[in-house]
Amino acid sequence: MKEIKHHQVIVVGAGHAGCEAALASARLGADTLLLTMNLSTIALMPCNPSIGGPGKGHLVREIGVLGGEMAACIDETCIQMKWLNTSKGPAVRSRRAQADKYLYRQRMTQTLFNSPNLTLRQGHVTEILVRNGCVAGVKLETGLQFECDRLVVTSGTYLNSRIILGRETWPGGPQNQSPAIGLSDSLEKYGVPLRRLQTATPPRVLKSSVDFTKLAELPGDPDAGGFLWENRLRRYDRQISCFLAFADAESVEAVRRNLSESPLMLGNITNVGPKHCPSIDRKIMRFPDQLKHQIFVEPEGWESQELYLQGLTTGMPPAAQREIVRSVKGLENAVIMRYGYAIEYDALAPGLIRKTMESRALKGLYTAGQLNGTSGYEEAAAQGLIAGINAALSIKGRSPYWPSRTSSYMGVLVDDLSIWQKPEPYRITPGHAEFRLTLRDDSAERRLMREGYGIGLVDEERFRKINEWTTRIEDELASLDGLSLFPSGEMREKLVSSGTGDLKKRVSACEILQRPGISYQDVRNLLGEEKKEWLSAADEIYSLETEIKYRGYFERESEKIARTKFLESIRLPLSVVDTRVSSLAPHIAELLLSDQFDDLNQLVRKNCLSRSELAILFTVLRQDSEEAVGDPEVLND
Amino acid sequence: MSKVRTDTIAAVATPPGRSAIGLIRVSGPATFEVLKKIFKTGGKKTFPLPHCVYYGSIIEPGSGLTADKVLVTTFVAPHSYTGENLVEISTHGNMVVVSKVLQIILLNGARGAEAGEFTRRAFLNGKMDLLEVEAVSQLLSAGSMSQARLALNQLDGLPSHFVSRVRSRLLDHLVQLEASLNFPEDAIEAIDEHLLARDLKKILAELQIFADNARNGSMVAGGLKVALLGRPNSGKSSIMNYMLGRERAIVTEVAGTTRDTLEESLMIGNYSIKLIDTAGLREPGDRIEAIGIERTRRAVDEAFALIGVFDGADSPDGDDRLVMAELERAGKPFLVVRNKADLAQRLPDAFFEGKQQIVVSALKGYGLDQLVADLRRVIEESGLAEYEDLVLLGAQQSTALEKALTALARASAGAGQMYQDMLAIDLEEAVRELGRVNGETVDVNTLDLVFERFCIGK
Repeated sequence: MKEIKHHQVIVVGAGHAGCEAALASARLGADTLLLTMNLSTIALMPCNPSIGGPGKGHLVREIGVLGGEMAACIDETCIQMKWLNTSKGPAVRSRRAQADKYLYRQRMTQTLFNSPNLTLRQGHVTEILVRNGCVAGVKLETGLQFECDRLVVTSGTYLNSRIILGRETWPGGPQNQSPAIGLSDSLEKYGVPLRRLQTATPPRVLKSSVDFTKLAELPGDPDAGGFLWENRLRRYDRQISCFLAFADAESVEAVRRNLSESPLMLGNITNVGPKHCPSIDRKIMRFPDQLKHQIFVEPEGWESQELYLQGLTTGMPPAAQREIVRSVKGLENAVIMRYGYAIEYDALAPGLIRKTMESRALKGLYTAGQLNGTSGYEEAAAQGLIAGINAALSIKGRSPYWPSRTSSYMGVLVDDLSIWQKPEPYRITPGHAEFRLTLRDDSAERRLMREGYGIGLVDEERFRKINEWTTRIEDELASLDGLSLFPSGEMREKLVSSGTGDLKKRVSACEILQRPGISYQDVRNLLGEEKKEWLSAADEIYSLETEIKYRGYFERESEKIARTKFLESIRLPLSVVDTRVSSLAPHIAELLLSDQFDDLNQLVRKNCLSRSELAILFTVLRQDSEEAVGDPEVLND
Repeated sequence: MSKVRTDTIAAVATPPGRSAIGLIRVSGPATFEVLKKIFKTGGKKTFPLPHCVYYGSIIEPGSGLTADKVLVTTFVAPHSYTGENLVEISTHGNMVVVSKVLQIILLNGARGAEAGEFTRRAFLNGKMDLLEVEAVSQLLSAGSMSQARLALNQLDGLPSHFVSRVRSRLLDHLVQLEASLNFPEDAIEAIDEHLLARDLKKILAELQIFADNARNGSMVAGGLKVALLGRPNSGKSSIMNYMLGRERAIVTEVAGTTRDTLEESLMIGNYSIKLIDTAGLREPGDRIEAIGIERTRRAVDEAFALIGVFDGADSPDGDDRLVMAELERAGKPFLVVRNKADLAQRLPDAFFEGKQQIVVSALKGYGLDQLVADLRRVIEESGLAEYEDLVLLGAQQSTALEKALTALARASAGAGQMYQDMLAIDLEEAVRELGRVNGETVDVNTLDLVFERFCIGK
């Protein structure tokens, strides 16, 4: 009898989801095996060379706070760091990094190899082994088997994937990798239904063939700081610029000439692609009157000779791609090194994932990333982290963890994903977060630090340091609130001269800071010697000013947050022995008992019940609940 | 995913009691199946053809006995009141007959409708929005011609149209903002904050007028409140009793919110009026009296117009001056009455400072025609006569409208001053609450609209 090796957790796939899942699981003490089809392409970025942006950057910050790896890795391997949306408000302000794709891969690979409890192996998983209705292991193409208690599948865009280039189409994964064959059948066999999604990537051109004099330079911000708390004040003095080009009327014409060769027109591709990164063909078909489209020309690394043409995503054939690229000013002589292509792959049918990333269909199975119908490295990493955490927690017999949508973009992501019913892939943006003023980039530590520590991915030392930092900001807030002062003549003069108007009665320092145009430094100047200790770090001051200046907005938001938290606190499905169920109408009871939702908030968000049905439900739930349900206003948002 | 119940309902539409005709309505997918079981047409016309009137008999299937000879009018979905298949059965107006026909219908596949269920279905099927639903309910309970005309105006859909237009203008701005916030690098035109601020200010002003019309609408719908003010024993109650008696139109007698105020309804012309007798105003002597006066003040605040009553047979005291001050403070139309004109007069004309007095003796009953005529003039001059602009809102709709106004006021004040992400939050709230006012929709899928309207994607 050959001996089959057993691991507590097996992670299949070493993309951005798989890496986070494997690291989280191993770091929480579970004996973890990471299987990848190619050990040389761990943490590959097969599409754009950047990480971050509104929503996505928030996720990276949160991954960093919870103890994931993406934040640390991109901070070390970026070639550009930049703030976006700084003029539009604290909620949408976020960082974006340009990555050195090669360094990112190397660093992540090193981190994985150096992690205790983690074993890496190359292998093509073709089958899931199931025992007693629960995941028991995997079988490889080679016939080798591995046993496990929990399985995390992060198959990205590899599952039964096909490359589409004009009329040509063949089985293949991203960037000339092999497709993963067999696993789809296995998943479906065990009751996990799949669907087809597609995405695409633009061509890469040779750096030396581009005329940069015709492009606008887009430099980074040396003082943007990193994503990880420890790197928040880090300076990035050495950076590489991106460039901006435009596809104008001539390019639109070039696309139009070649539209008959577009997979969209040929119909040899599923129509379900990500809304937020449509191919150039689709853009020109949908917005025929727009004769100017931006193209961001982005380097792929310090040493890379290739440039990524963000905005020219397409699966048209090579000749068409050449014609379109060369119609762009500055790219007249561009040499295409890698052609863009479209890829079609298997993903889970919607509605089968819990907020913990565990499957509703198969016990012991966790899924993350593009398999779950998302797009984006950051979304994948965030789900991988949650999946890895929960796989390990469940082995230890600990209760599952999911972040609340009131506390983080991670929470918004997992919550949306578990009830997402739209056909197209999901991408996070601030538009998905109804509490985005609270879920700011600068508040990530205050929102999630305790959760990271509680899970066990943040050690004592790090927790203490971050805690000191957040406490400093909170104490200062309290201190300014408590500092009541009667404006001196000198102070009133200063206020009037700064244009914010006179002050005639006793106020708190916070109230002064709330005035438009008044900064923390102004308050400090006004108060002079009345207060000894002052904050000095720019990030702390920024957080403090934000908290104080927009207090009215935060307070309004926090009322709504309290309602959502209450709704989230009622976990579903309810147990059949729950006596409350018997007093509900049958169709409501059925909803609450069926395993479709993780909590009551999801049910409310899906509008499954009328207002009067909800009112009845609350009355019933309130009978046993210790929580203050508050008034039926809960229904109003 | 609203759950439109898909069973078939029936109810008697005419009021109970003897009348020429009784009307029963049946609505729902099984309407015609039910009718086929129990209705036998008298003519040769196939039943049911859409939108036809049939003469025939309602037959009890078990016994085969005829319950009544009726007219059946057919309406086919979606072209009916509820948006579903619907029939109206006109029976003879005897309650025994009507009940029997309804019973047969209920035994053959329909269930009894809940109160308001036909209208609710009309709403759920998109035949009416909430403002129109509100109008139907007001129309059914209208006690005066002015109330009925107001409700009918709303049924024409003008207020709904206004709200949905304002909502869609705000939504346009919101979508623009969200596009720029969510996709900062997608070459979406930068927001012109001056233009935005100007437009928001304009929309806010329009919405404020709408809200005023809604407040006035609820005044007309609830009966115009007219408060009688005066010191104790100035004769308020006699005037009130006389007006009510003379008009012989006492509708209800409800004790007010306190034992100190009494409300009575009467009709003046086309208007339904609520006369409110207040406790009287005087310098408070003790706490209880202070409470009474507080209540009087509240009645004054809620009133549409005031009538100040003064005792002509007594010289003016501090309390009279207090009443006069209150009339002037309230900023509402008011009339001043010199009562007890049958007695020797000790109240000097100078007290009224040139205000037009209405000279009355409640006891002898003269001068009161003048008072009623003046009150009517006050109402007509108030502009409330122009029903076209008035709006009827239910309680939840009023709350939503107020919330929308507050949020929009914040956005309007903040545009150009405040960060765009805060602005977007206020606008979103205004849009959502306006959706609640006419029930269009509450969910705001801004992101979907962003993708529809802008070429997003790098």
